[in-house]
Amino acid sequence: MEWKKFFSGVFILFLILLFVSGTSSEAYEKRDGKKIFVYGERQPAPNIDPSQHYDWSTRMLQQALYDALLKYVGNPPKLIPWLAKSWKKSADGKKWTFELVRNAKFHNGDPVTAHAVKWSFERTLALKKGPAWMLMEFLDKDGIKVIDDYTIEFNLKSPYAAFEMALPWWYVMNPKVVMANAKGDDYGQEWMKSNSAGSGPFRQKRWEHGVLYELEAVEDYWRGWENPKHIDGFIYKIIRESSSLRMALEKGEVDGVSGLSSEDFDAVAKHPQIYVTNDPGWTTFGLKMNTQKGYTKDINIRKAICYAFDYPSLIKIYNGNAILEDSPFPKGMKGYIPCPNVYRQDMKKAKEYLAKAGYPNGGFELEYVYVQGLEEERLIGLVLLDNLAKLGIKLKMVPLVWPNMVARGSKIETSPDLMAVFTTPIMDDPDVVAIQYHKVSWGKYYGSHFYQNEKVWEMIEKARFAVDWPTRQKLYEQIQIQIMEDAPEVFGMLYNRRWAFRKHVKGFHFSPVRFTSEIDIYPLYIED
Amino acid sequence: MGMTQFVLKRLALMVITLLGLSVVVFFVSRVAPGDPAKLAAGPDATEEMVEVIRKEFGLEKPLIIQYWIYMKGLIRGDFGRSIRTRHLVWEDLKRFMPATFELVLVSISFSILFGIFFGVLSAVYRDRWVDHVIRFFTITGVAVPMFWLGIMLQLLFSAKFHLFPLGGRLDTMILPPPSWTHFLLIDSLLAGDWKAFGNGIHHIFLPAFVLSFPALASITRINRAEMLEVLNKDFILNEKAQGISERLIIFKYALKNALIPTLSMIGLRYGWMLGGTVLVETVFNWPGVGNYAVGAAVYSDFQPVMAVTIILGLNFMVANLLVDIGYGFLDPRIRYE
Repeated sequence: MEWKKFFSGVFILFLILLFVSGTSSEAYEKRDGKKIFVYGERQPAPNIDPSQHYDWSTRMLQQALYDALLKYVGNPPKLIPWLAKSWKKSADGKKWTFELVRNAKFHNGDPVTAHAVKWSFERTLALKKGPAWMLMEFLDKDGIKVIDDYTIEFNLKSPYAAFEMALPWWYVMNPKVVMANAKGDDYGQEWMKSNSAGSGPFRQKRWEHGVLYELEAVEDYWRGWENPKHIDGFIYKIIRESSSLRMALEKGEVDGVSGLSSEDFDAVAKHPQIYVTNDPGWTTFGLKMNTQKGYTKDINIRKAICYAFDYPSLIKIYNGNAILEDSPFPKGMKGYIPCPNVYRQDMKKAKEYLAKAGYPNGGFELEYVYVQGLEEERLIGLVLLDNLAKLGIKLKMVPLVWPNMVARGSKIETSPDLMAVFTTPIMDDPDVVAIQYHKVSWGKYYGSHFYQNEKVWEMIEKARFAVDWPTRQKLYEQIQIQIMEDAPEVFGMLYNRRWAFRKHVKGFHFSPVRFTSEIDIYPLYIED
Repeated sequence: MGMTQFVLKRLALMVITLLGLSVVVFFVSRVAPGDPAKLAAGPDATEEMVEVIRKEFGLEKPLIIQYWIYMKGLIRGDFGRSIRTRHLVWEDLKRFMPATFELVLVSISFSILFGIFFGVLSAVYRDRWVDHVIRFFTITGVAVPMFWLGIMLQLLFSAKFHLFPLGGRLDTMILPPPSWTHFLLIDSLLAGDWKAFGNGIHHIFLPAFVLSFPALASITRINRAEMLEVLNKDFILNEKAQGISERLIIFKYALKNALIPTLSMIGLRYGWMLGGTVLVETVFNWPGVGNYAVGAAVYSDFQPVMAVTIILGLNFMVANLLVDIGYGFLDPRIRYE
């Protein structure tokens, strides 16, 4: 029969295809004998302009392509000089002077001078995008002064203690290159989305949007390399599905990943060629309560919820890879103290507070909003549902996509009773966490509690502008205790940050100030 | 009505339908909760920064004006700019659309070729083991979710036996050929880059198989049913009595008559496949327009969503028009009215 012949032919062809083209897993990727590190993650980085955009994936690439005056390294994070070799501030905390290294050069060979630093800061401030919010309240164009080619001065409008802490995220660009590619008055924005003009340890090689971004090491990087075995190239490969990410790592198609579930991390840790890092992070998880509307407006109900919640279950949900929060500030951050008035489950106290609120037997319903598809937040909701049921309070669980959650949390009228929120501080200064409880944060996702305490707000402002650390430290201690007392949220936990790498990958340094899956590529190396 | 008039009438209707589609998608995406300017400006952005974005994208203007500006741009082929990435949507589409069309074209070709063949086979060998095996697979094809099938095949053929790559269009270290058409297989052939071509075929096999499976099943089932009906008609009996060879009867007389409903199914499935690419592209990390649209929708980035909807809608309409034209070739008795 002819169809039998046809089938046999197709089958044989199929087998040939399989055996001839079967995929092989090499230890790591090489090109012309050079070692390439492949990092797999879900989030693309479509706009790498340091003045326009930042998020973890973007910042990871920016950090490789550009340099800043200072850089964060290690755990706890330490601020080390980078393009600046030294810096000082005036007694009133308003004037900051930086002396630059003299050997730094951009990828095209131009020297990195104070003029380039000034131009870069002016560009970010003028565009009012990306990291501009960090300094625009304190710094304007006229406050930046070039003293000489290698000395720059910043004159702030008011003292800002956290000024230096923001600088690692303000990258220095080559004005000549950017302006040569500017269109009209766009300040080079169009070109800078997919191109770079930096002095960092890597330069762009292959840029396939939505597929991968490839960097190659700058052999004569002005700062040199920490390790002579440093990687020669870096590929950031976009893999959108979590199970594919895990398979890619197990198969050796990628050398490192971060976006896995707790279960997947535990599973890949057993693979003979993979190791998993596990470090306490600074990303806090809390259930923000609307303090201006509904039942949670009443502090007694908020306290009842805080006392009803089963905190250790958070650790269980993260398979032991988390610690409980005992302050609004993450443990390890400058100024952090463990609050003496921290809440832990105590159903007797919970009932007392509920009675004080006038609802001894509960009898009402609260809404819990969480990110759709985030299993951990769903499980946390179920724990809360069980805990509140014992107080006679019903919990309505509402999963939403992130933009809708942000929209709900932006107004008092629509902000839910409880909203599950993760927050990562962007710098190592308590101001960035404290400000989340100030009125200026109302309407932002981390301010969906609409917390109001004028005394605390005043202390936050004082601490922000104070020059000496002991004064600030004292204020932050009081701020932490008072916020805990006012219970604007159920202070949950800090989950461990984890990465999984193939065993030939070395040199990974964790720093809690880095975002979600962001790694510092510079110190990485590959060793057989 | 002649063919030309019919086509012109359908083209005019297409314009009206597209206009309707643009209105629905534009206003639905704008009234959805979430402030795109706020999301694009970043979580810590000040109100002043959000305002900069709002002005840059004209979001402070009334909706009807925004729609008017959008349509004026659309007529010039300008799909606007993504608020999240700031990229021109048309530039993105040029990059991602061919990847999707390449996948869909390979999948639909696979479905048509094997769907018709299996349908004929199943009908000719009705109630024999060949028929049972094919029916089992067609029922499976309709019932099994693509997402699940994709992951299972990945686990088996990629993770376990290392026979196929996990995803993407090319191996990480293989440089793509120059992008003349953005269709990787065509570009690699034009460039004479056999390594990239072979690698591209290797990469497209699993996603195309998964995407084609439900369509293949549907085409097989409908073709089988039609073939069975036609094979029982008197004219077939007459041809058999006249001693015409079985192969000629099946492939020339019976199949041609059975193809009209199959053709409708192909048109429907083509449109369905375009929608189905979202899942397959996610599982197989295929850098296509489905992934692009989902990524944009999650961030309330409506320009890319609008553009993708309009382009896919247009494509679906064109496919259906071609199917309608195809009827005439298969059965000259059909008049275009």
